[in-house]
Amino acid sequence: MMLVEKYLPLFVAIPLGGAFLISLLGWKKRGLPEWIGTLIPAGLFIYSLVTLWATTKHGIVVHHLGGWSPPVGILIGADGLTAFMLVIVHFVAACVALYATDYIKKYTSPWIFYVLFLIILAGMNGVLTTCDFFNLFVFMEIASLAACTLVAFGTERHELEAAFKYGVMNTMGALFILLGIALLYGYTSELNMADMANIIAAKGPGSKIVTMAGVFFLVGFGLKAALVPFHAWLPDAHPSAPAPISAILSGLIIKSLGIYALFRIFICVLGMTPLLSSIFLFMGALSMATGAIMAMGQTDFKRLLAYSSLSQVGYIVFGLALGTPLGILGGLFHLFNHSVGKSLLFLTAGSVEYATGTRKLNEMGGLSNKMPVTGTSSLAGAMSIGGIPPFGGFFSKLIIIFAAVQAGHIGYAIWAVGTGVLTLVYLMKAMKQAFRGALAERWQAVREVPMRMRLAMLILAFVCLTGGLLLIPQLKDLFLNQAAKVLIDGRMYSKIWGGF
Amino acid sequence: MNQLTNQLMSYFKVDAFSLFIGGFALFFYLLTRVYSLSFMRGRPGITRYNAYLFLTLISSWGAIFANHLIVFLVFWGFLGLLLYLLISFGQNERVPATAQKAMIIIGGSDALMILGLALIYHLSGSLNINEIHLGTDNKLALLAFICLACGALAKAGSMPFHSWIPDTAQDAPIPVTAYLPASLDKLLGIYFLARLTLTVFKLTPGLQTVLMMVGSITIVAAVMMALIQHDLKRLLGYHAVSQVGYMVLGIGTGIPVGIAGGLFHMLNHAIYKSCLFFCAGAVEKETGTTNLDKLGGLAKTMPITFISFLVAALAISGVPPLNGFASKWMIFQGVIETAHRGGHLWVLWLLAAMIGSAFTLASFMKVVHAVFLGQASQEEERRVGIKRETKPLMWIPMVVLAFLCLLFGLFAKAIPLDKFIFPSMGYEAAFPGVWNSSIATLLLVGAVFIGFLIFLMGTIMKTRRTEAFVGGERLQDHPEMRVSGTDFYHTIQDMRGLKGIYNLAEKKQFDPYEVGIREVSRLTNVMKILHNGILPTYLAWVLLGAAILMLVLMV
Repeated sequence: MMLVEKYLPLFVAIPLGGAFLISLLGWKKRGLPEWIGTLIPAGLFIYSLVTLWATTKHGIVVHHLGGWSPPVGILIGADGLTAFMLVIVHFVAACVALYATDYIKKYTSPWIFYVLFLIILAGMNGVLTTCDFFNLFVFMEIASLAACTLVAFGTERHELEAAFKYGVMNTMGALFILLGIALLYGYTSELNMADMANIIAAKGPGSKIVTMAGVFFLVGFGLKAALVPFHAWLPDAHPSAPAPISAILSGLIIKSLGIYALFRIFICVLGMTPLLSSIFLFMGALSMATGAIMAMGQTDFKRLLAYSSLSQVGYIVFGLALGTPLGILGGLFHLFNHSVGKSLLFLTAGSVEYATGTRKLNEMGGLSNKMPVTGTSSLAGAMSIGGIPPFGGFFSKLIIIFAAVQAGHIGYAIWAVGTGVLTLVYLMKAMKQAFRGALAERWQAVREVPMRMRLAMLILAFVCLTGGLLLIPQLKDLFLNQAAKVLIDGRMYSKIWGGF
Repeated sequence: MNQLTNQLMSYFKVDAFSLFIGGFALFFYLLTRVYSLSFMRGRPGITRYNAYLFLTLISSWGAIFANHLIVFLVFWGFLGLLLYLLISFGQNERVPATAQKAMIIIGGSDALMILGLALIYHLSGSLNINEIHLGTDNKLALLAFICLACGALAKAGSMPFHSWIPDTAQDAPIPVTAYLPASLDKLLGIYFLARLTLTVFKLTPGLQTVLMMVGSITIVAAVMMALIQHDLKRLLGYHAVSQVGYMVLGIGTGIPVGIAGGLFHMLNHAIYKSCLFFCAGAVEKETGTTNLDKLGGLAKTMPITFISFLVAALAISGVPPLNGFASKWMIFQGVIETAHRGGHLWVLWLLAAMIGSAFTLASFMKVVHAVFLGQASQEEERRVGIKRETKPLMWIPMVVLAFLCLLFGLFAKAIPLDKFIFPSMGYEAAFPGVWNSSIATLLLVGAVFIGFLIFLMGTIMKTRRTEAFVGGERLQDHPEMRVSGTDFYHTIQDMRGLKGIYNLAEKKQFDPYEVGIREVSRLTNVMKILHNGILPTYLAWVLLGAAILMLVLMV
C-alpha cells in the first residue's frame, strides 16, 4: 500500500524520462528506442496491476506530491476507475509498442516516433491519475499535441492536412475546457477536483455558472471523445497516423482524454442531472448511428475503422449515461472490449498496409491466403466489435442492451440493436474485401508480416476471444466492479478525498 | 470446485425434447463426417474444416441443452460464425459474398435476439427457459416474441430471412450445406421456435395466424422460385426454404397434431434434404457440375445415387408411403382443425400447403429428368467412360438416409412419433383423420402389383418405338437438340403477372438483405455530403452544437 502510494507519480515520470532518454541517446544507438519504448509500457502494465490490487484492497490510493498536504499540495491518486483505465492503457500500449518495433522500420527516424509515443503515454497517465483540474488540462494538451504531431508523422499531403484539422479542432476544444475550468475556479476558488465537488455540492444545485461550465466541458471533452456533432476531426486524423498510433488514438486516447475525463467530471465533480443524462443518451445514440452509417460507405480500411470507433464510443457513452449499475458496468466493459478490439483492427489494417502498401479495400482481396495470422486476428477483432459470441464485445453489447431495457429506454434499445446489425454489415464487408476470396494477381508476392507484429496481434486477438471471462464473478469484482462503483456513487470520490 | 460444477450444470437441462434434437444433431454430424472423408479429400485446410465441423456439433449441443437463455445465445451465435467459416471452404468466386450474407443475416438476427432476451428479463425477471411463461397480449411481450422468433426463423431459413439459404446451397461445399442449412439449422431453428411457442410464450390467435401466414407464403413463394432454377444445388436450396414453411405452418396451428406434424416434418426434412444434397454432391464430384442444362442420363452410371435421390425426392414431394407424406398429412390435419376457431383463412393455408406439395413434385420431376433420366449432353456423353458410381463413403450416408425416409414413412406412428415426437411434446396428439401407414402401404404395394399385371397383360407392351423425327432431320445427328428438362416450366415463368414478379425476384427486390443494404447506402451518401472535409464547416458544427447545448441546458 505504502509503496504503491509512494511510487504513483512514476506513471507520469517514467514515460517522460524514457522520452527524454531516447531523445538524448536513442537517435545515435540503433534499437535502443525500440527497447525503451516497449519495456516502459510493459513494466508499467505490471505496476498498473499492482495499483489495481491496491485499489481493490483500500478503495483509493493517494500520493501527496512533494510531501505537501492539500490545500497547498497537489494530489495524485488512483481509485477503481483510474486503476481500471491504467490497466487497459498499459496493456494496449505494450502490445502496440511491441508491434511498432517492426512496423516503424519503414519510416526514417523511429526514435522520434518513440519519443512522441512515450509523451502520449505520460499525458494519458497524467490525465488518469491527477486530482487537480488544471493539471488534467495540461496533461491532456501534452497528449493531444504529441498525438497531433504523430498524425503528421508520414508528412504526406493528406497527413499534414489531417494533422492541421486535428490541431485546430482540438485547440478549440481545449479552449472550451479551459474556459470551463476558469468558471469553476472562479465559483469555488479551488482546483482540487475532490474539494471542488464538495464545494459545488455544498452550494447546492441550480447554479448557472456550474451549468455553463458543464456546457463548455460537454463541448470540449465531447470533442476529445469524438461525440457527434464534435467528431469531424476523427475520421481524418485516425487513419492518417501510422498504424500503431491509430491504434493508440482510437483505442486509448479518445477514451482516456474523452470518455474518462467526461464522466469523471460530470459524475464525480459536477453531479449528474436527469437532463444531462438524457443529453448524453441522445448524443451517444446519435454517434452510434452516424458512425455506423458513415462506415458503410468507406473504401479506406482505416477510415472505416475510424468511423466504427465513432459508433462504438457512442455505445460506451450510452451505457455509462444510463446511470444504472448495469449500464455503467456495460459501458465500462465495452470500453475495455473496444480498446482491445479496435486497436487490434487498426494493427491488422497496418499489417495489410505494411505488406501491400495500400489501404484501399477494393484493391485487396484474398489476403488471408498469404497472411493467415493477420486475417485470423482481424476476424477476431471484427467479431468482438461486431458482437458475436463468445467474443468479449458480445457480452458488453448484451449488457448495454439489457441495461437500456431495464431502464425503460426501449426505443434506444431497438436503436442500439439496429446499429449493432449495421456494425456487423460494415465489418463483414471489410473482412470480405480484404481477406476473403481468391488472391489477386498483383498480391502473389505478398508475405506475412514479421514476428513481433504477429505476436502483438495474436495477444490482442486472444484477449478479444477470452474477454468475456472478465464477467466471471471473481474477476468482475476485481476489475470491472471497482471501476463501476466509482461511477455509480459519484459522491464517494469527494468524500474520501475532501477529508484532508 | 464441486460448487462450480453445480453452478455450470444449472445452466443446462436435459429433457426428452432436447435429447431428441441433440441425438439427431449427432446422427447428422456422423453422416456428414463420413461423407466429408471422401468429398473433401485433398482440399486445403481439411484439419480446420474438421475442427469447425466438430465445434459446430459441440456448440449446437450447447444451444440445445441450455436452459439459461444467455448461455443458449452464446452457443447459438457462435454457430453463425462457424457457418461463416465453413462456407468459406467453398471454391468459387461468389463464396466470400455468400459467407458474408449468411453471417450478416444470422448475426443480425442474433442481435435482435439480444433485445428479445432483454425484454423477457425485463418482463419476467428470469432467464431460465423453464421458468418463463409470458402472454403475448401486451406490446413488450409481443416485441420480445417477434425478436426471438426472427432469430429462430432466420436460422431455419423461413421467409423473409431465407435469402442466405439458396446462395449458401449453391456456393458452400456440399457436406456443409447438407449439415447446416439442410439439417442442423432446421433442427435448431424449429426446436427453438417450438420452445418459444409451446412453453415460453402463450400465443394469441392473431399471432398464430401471422405464423401460419408466414409459413404459407414461404411454402408457395420458395417453391415457385425453385421451379425455375437451373442449378441443382440452388434448386434444392429453395426447397429447403419452402419446406420450412410447412414446419412453421404446423407449429403455427397451435393444435397438437399440427405441432407434432411440424416437428415430425422438421425431422423428415433433415433426413431427405441432407440425402438430396449428398446425392447432388455425388453428382458434382463425378461430373464436375450441378448445372441442370449440362447434366443428364446419370441413372445408368450412378444407380445407387439415382435410387437414393428418387426416394428422397418422392419423400419431399409427399408421396405415400414415405415419411414426407406422413408429416404433411399431420400438418394438413392441424390446419383443418383450426377451422373451428372460426374464420375462413384456413382454406387459404390448406391451399398453399397443397399447391406447395404439387409444385414440389413438379420441380422434382424436372430434376430427376434433367439429372438422371433424359439424354446426356454432348460433353457428358464424352465422359461416359470416365463416369462411375460414387465412392462407398459417399453413398453409404445417402443410402442410410433414403432407408430412413422409407422406415419413418412405413412406421410413422411406431418409431418417430412414439419414440421421439410425442415424448418431446409431453403429450400424445390425437389423430382426427384415419391414416394407418401399414395398411396404406399394403394397399399401395397391391396397387403397384395390379398395375404391373395390367402392364403385362394389356396392350401397353405393344407400344411402338421409333426414332425421334424433327422436320426431316434425324435427331441423332444433332445431339445438342435434346430435351434436358430444365425448361419444363417456362410456361409458368412467362405467365402474365408471374413474369413481373419473377423478374423482380431475379433482381433481388424481395431480398430484405439486398434491399436493406441498398437503402442504408443511400442514407450514407446523404451523410457523406455533410462530411465534406472542409474545416470551417466542421468548426461551425462544433459551435452549433455548443449553441444547442447551451439552449437546452441554460434556458
